[in-house]
Amino acid sequence: MNAIDPRIHQVLDGELAPGALSAELRRSVERLVTAVALLAAPLPLPSLEPRVMALIRRPVPSRARRLLRWLATPRSVTFRVRPVWSLAFAAVVAMLTLVPIGHEGPDIGEHEGIAQFVGRFPGAQSVHVVGSFNDWRPGSIALEDVDQDGLWRATVVLPTGAYEYMFVVDGERWVPDHLAERLVSDEFGRENSIVIVRPARR
Amino acid sequence: MKLWLGLALLAGPLAAQSARARLEGRVPGAAVPALDSLVQRAVAEGLPTEPLIQKALEGGAKQVTAPRIVAAVQLSLGQLRAARDLLIRAGDEPPVTPGEVTTVAWALRRDLPAPVVERVVAALPRPPRASAMHAVADLAAHRFDPDSAADLIIAAIGRGLVRERLLDVSAAAAHELQRGHTHAEALALVRQALPNVPASPKPTRSAVARARRPAAPPP
Amino acid sequence: MDVTGASSDAEVVARVLGGDREAFGLVVRRYEAGLLRFAARMLGSRDAAADAVAESFVRAYRHLASCREPTRLRTWLYRIVANRCKSHLARRPIADVSLDEAPPVADPSDTEVALERAEQLALVRRALVRLSPEKREAFLLKHVEGLSYEEMAAVTGERIPTLKMRVHRAREALLQVLEDHE
Repeated sequence: MNAIDPRIHQVLDGELAPGALSAELRRSVERLVTAVALLAAPLPLPSLEPRVMALIRRPVPSRARRLLRWLATPRSVTFRVRPVWSLAFAAVVAMLTLVPIGHEGPDIGEHEGIAQFVGRFPGAQSVHVVGSFNDWRPGSIALEDVDQDGLWRATVVLPTGAYEYMFVVDGERWVPDHLAERLVSDEFGRENSIVIVRPARR
Repeated sequence: MKLWLGLALLAGPLAAQSARARLEGRVPGAAVPALDSLVQRAVAEGLPTEPLIQKALEGGAKQVTAPRIVAAVQLSLGQLRAARDLLIRAGDEPPVTPGEVTTVAWALRRDLPAPVVERVVAALPRPPRASAMHAVADLAAHRFDPDSAADLIIAAIGRGLVRERLLDVSAAAAHELQRGHTHAEALALVRQALPNVPASPKPTRSAVARARRPAAPPP
Repeated sequence: MDVTGASSDAEVVARVLGGDREAFGLVVRRYEAGLLRFAARMLGSRDAAADAVAESFVRAYRHLASCREPTRLRTWLYRIVANRCKSHLARRPIADVSLDEAPPVADPSDTEVALERAEQLALVRRALVRLSPEKREAFLLKHVEGLSYEEMAAVTGERIPTLKMRVHRAREALLQVLEDHE
């Protein structure tokens, strides 16, 4: 990248009149001004107002519903309480959230956690997640589209740790997880997503 | 992260014979001798072999050509060496823990500058450092300046937060960005809140009920 | 109210916070064109821009009480969108742009001019994509969205000298591309 004559910057910053420039420098300024004019043209996009207002108008759940949702979503909170009370509280929370009533779901070990994979693949016949947690073996972790709405999910028990992965759609199309916030080059010209599996018991 | 440590300790003596066994049938036959040789080199240098084997398996699964797989594994070996050297520079006594080499290699792959990684290593004299590294890398991925990101995580460590709770710190900072704060404001807000950053929710009962283990590989 | 009878931003914000939810539509109509253009140029995709800006507006509505200076609503909105764009780009680096936009021309039958302008725009957009997100953002905010350096500092949280340097570097990079293709 070449540095340009500083007077070009001064003109564009309004600190110098264009007339103070030579013809050649004025041409450079004009090129940039033309480029800006092209970029500044309004885009032919429909107004967002209906969409935004519809989202805003969506009824806020009633206080009772919000409370129910809050209770149903386990969370850990830092309290300054006497140790014996915090133990009792933790025991209750653990009972309510971690010990399934009845015998649903696998026993999750101390060094295991849960990874939830979600992807939107309308029209797909199969979706698998493949990564360093299953030796990059396609077929061992299948996602399911239970509602037939194109949204595929899998919830998997894995040892705690960090893993790279991709989705494989219809057995052949490798796709990164667009919802994952961590990406890293796979050194093969694509990007893997990274998932960090935290201990389920905390 | 204990499981990674366990795997890494086992990797040395068994690596030579198990690498071939794991790669055969999964990568192009032409690549196996070169890959095996790279794994042996890693064993000889006290470096973890699992990242190399995983990279090879990945290339095989993605149907990449043999030369490209070998090149990628060679690159991975180089990354592990750089990671080992960084750990020693930052104060870890040789031989460095293979699990930590993997962690630092990952941090460098996630584009954290080496000096920043060194600072985090030095701030956490005892492993494991994986959560701290990923937390700093998460912040950098959200365009926080890596040095400032490291400052925040090191401050969190100083306030007694460890392991996965450090990931909650980076999540909290990203959340403040989403709320419209600048990067500087987000860091300041989270630092002020330490150590009381919100914890990520535990898996719900229905998620636990749905969870399945991966299907076992064919014999 | 100004001389045309339009409510100021501060007045609209006060109305919304006072319970007049529908008044937020005024905010959307007032700022969506600029925010969409900015987001589209940042992300290289109109669809991604529409999503980002719509989500930003909803977030702005929900956090309107934390907009400390309603007279600087515009800056606050740009900040929310800029942060959203940067998070998006951190997850998904921009891919190449396609020749899918023809800017409006005065005479729609003059297709040769339209094609030339479309090609020029594609060239400029490609050059923009090659800039780092920080330089791209600074260039767009300064030249396309017309913010002052003070306003840009409020949007990005960066110091003015840093922003000036980014704008200068962006200009140099763009000029290089434009002059190479003459």
